[in-house]
Amino acid sequence: MFELFIAMVKEEWRVHSTMFGSLSFALFPFLIFGIAFMGSFLIPVVKRTLPVGNLSIIIHAMYLMLGLMVGGFGMLGNEVMNRRFGQASFLAYSARSLPISERTIFANFVVKDTVYYFFLWVFPFAFGYILAAPFLGIPLSSTLFLLLTLTLSFLFGLCGIFFLSTVFSWSKPVFWAFLLLLGVGFGGIMASGLNPAILFPPLMLHEEFSWWNLGLSCIVLAYLFVVSLWLFNPESVGSEKKHPDLFTPVLGRLSFLPNPPLAAKDAVDLHRSGSLIGQTIFSFVVPLGVIWFFLSLMAQFFPPHALLFLYAVTTGVIASTMYTWVTMFDAFGPYACLPVAVSTLIESKLTTFTILQIIPAVFIAAVSILAGEAAYLVPAVVLGLSVSFYAVGIMAWLCGLSPNVLVYDVKVLFEYLLLVGVVITVFSALSFINPWYALGSVILAVPAWLFIRQAKIRWDAVDPQGF
Amino acid sequence: MTAVIKADNLAKTYGDVQAVKGVSLSVEKGALFGLLGPNGSGKTTMIRMLTGQTRPTSGSASVLGIDVTQDPVGIRARVGIIPEQETPPSFLTAMEYLKFVAAVRQIPEIGKKADWWFDFLDFADKKDVLCKDLSRGTRQKLMFTQAFIHEPELALIDEPLINFDPIMQDLVKDYLAKYVKNGRTIFISTHILEVAEEICSEFAILHKGTLLHTGPVADLKARGEHLPAFFLSLVGKGRHV
Ligand SMILES: Nc1ncnc2c1ncn2[C@@H]1O[C@H](COP(=O)(O)OP(=O)(O)O)[C@@H](O)[C@H]1O
Ligand SMILES: [Mg+2]
Repeated sequence: MFELFIAMVKEEWRVHSTMFGSLSFALFPFLIFGIAFMGSFLIPVVKRTLPVGNLSIIIHAMYLMLGLMVGGFGMLGNEVMNRRFGQASFLAYSARSLPISERTIFANFVVKDTVYYFFLWVFPFAFGYILAAPFLGIPLSSTLFLLLTLTLSFLFGLCGIFFLSTVFSWSKPVFWAFLLLLGVGFGGIMASGLNPAILFPPLMLHEEFSWWNLGLSCIVLAYLFVVSLWLFNPESVGSEKKHPDLFTPVLGRLSFLPNPPLAAKDAVDLHRSGSLIGQTIFSFVVPLGVIWFFLSLMAQFFPPHALLFLYAVTTGVIASTMYTWVTMFDAFGPYACLPVAVSTLIESKLTTFTILQIIPAVFIAAVSILAGEAAYLVPAVVLGLSVSFYAVGIMAWLCGLSPNVLVYDVKVLFEYLLLVGVVITVFSALSFINPWYALGSVILAVPAWLFIRQAKIRWDAVDPQGF
Repeated sequence: MTAVIKADNLAKTYGDVQAVKGVSLSVEKGALFGLLGPNGSGKTTMIRMLTGQTRPTSGSASVLGIDVTQDPVGIRARVGIIPEQETPPSFLTAMEYLKFVAAVRQIPEIGKKADWWFDFLDFADKKDVLCKDLSRGTRQKLMFTQAFIHEPELALIDEPLINFDPIMQDLVKDYLAKYVKNGRTIFISTHILEVAEEICSEFAILHKGTLLHTGPVADLKARGEHLPAFFLSLVGKGRHV
């Protein structure tokens, strides 16, 4: 099956590199490497304010997150391919005509994702740290050891999300029961005054190496992977299931929007593909849950309201990626034979995006109340949403309808980080000074609007891409 | 006679591939115009330029009097298009897709017309099935339907017969031949030469991005020549056929 694996890796590479040329894409790992290399020199500075233990918690948490995100994308990968390319165009689909079982194809798909994103993200980052180590007087053995534990963190995220998502599609009640159990477990540990993070196997391993722990981690990972494969239920293609007309009633209900047919199609898509719930759980609630957890570990270093606003800003940035939920399935292709301009489609995707912003709004409000900061609920929600709209404006301007693919273009990523980074730093700082200053973030609506206007002009002027 | 399509030295380059190299042609109202050529000769690129889906690198063209670079959406509002490869959106049913197309094109009440098409192309049993679960042939039927459901004055159709069986090809061929009878125009790209010979009134042969020939099919027939043989004599030159 090695040929299939290699072919899938090549395919992934081709999809990414066709967008902006192989060179620009190949630079991506170097960018990550560079960030890690330079970032390493900040460690002594950071160490002065944060205990070392917390620093390693944060780095491991980042890798866990990375695994979650890559896994989350992989899980939806099939749907993505399906919607975007039609069934026959991708190996995961066309391989079905070969004498290989669907399970083998799926296994190859998972392993491909793991290896591919390992070399794209994990390895360059660790490598940057390794090369910086001699300058910082960190022994090489401890950096290599870090590479191992970070890789494990990444794999835990990846296998964890694969496991959760397979359980999710296998049986909804079992999934919710499982989540409940997990929540109760966490709650129990926290109630007993322990920090659950220290029970995270890669972190335990990092604290103190033991073969026993390493072996156990590998067994847990293998177990999650095997169970996911075992539960994997190949969707029945070509099932001629009949569906009642959903489009017409939805169209009627959305007739107040600027482009009702496009919005109605998005709504039906999100509903039928199950991606609204799936994405909300796996690309929004889970990452934010993890972030909340790690931010709360740093509670002692910040005034309480600062943490809430930091969290609101983070939620805003993550909420802006909801734009990718609505664009990732839709290539311009199917619209190209209709009287629809790229700018119209961008506008309509942003409309759907706007409706989806109810999710972060409710989320931030709930967090403010749970954190006992209900007094600052309004400024926190305003800050979160303003950041989200500003960031989505940048995203639309930089990437048009293809944010998922263009994010790997180094130039685009760099511009995004710069434009968003400056703004969130300024507004986090302002809200630290005085919580009510966060309300001032509504001013971000102006650049957001300008960027969106420019996005429409810019992306109408170029040939729409197939991806 | 008025030209519904006019291309003047139209060219398209992708990176270092010259897909179309300065093509000039004109299609009269009421014609069934066949654009013929081997794979990779630039047929799809021509259709994409004429419908404003991709910008010409140089040259100009107008369709129904509208410049392709000025108002591509305006052109697409008035014509019907069957794209070469695109498939309908996965999570809509066949019927919902037609309703979506109708809503985008702002045609009220489409139900009866849709039913006629489901009957005509014999896929009424599939109308509530999600597009992702449709076979290639059925998807092609659906794409065919969406291009003609608003009865456009001009349709540009790219290899519309390729996934059809002989019975369906025959049916569709008749439909196209009748469609142009009352002043409507069809621009069809195909490499099924027998079909082109049978139904086209005019044809052009494109080879490696260059137009090798253009003229009425009747002229050819008057000379007692057959399209397939003529095509091979032009395109097959220098090749071992
Ligand atoms: N988007 C594209 N990018 C790069 N090359 C392309 C693209 N589309 C078509 N081509 C190239 O242009 C040439 C003509 O293609 P096409 O118009 O599809 O021909 P045909 O439809 O006659 O088979 C081919 O060599 C093809 O590889
Ligand atoms: Mg073609």
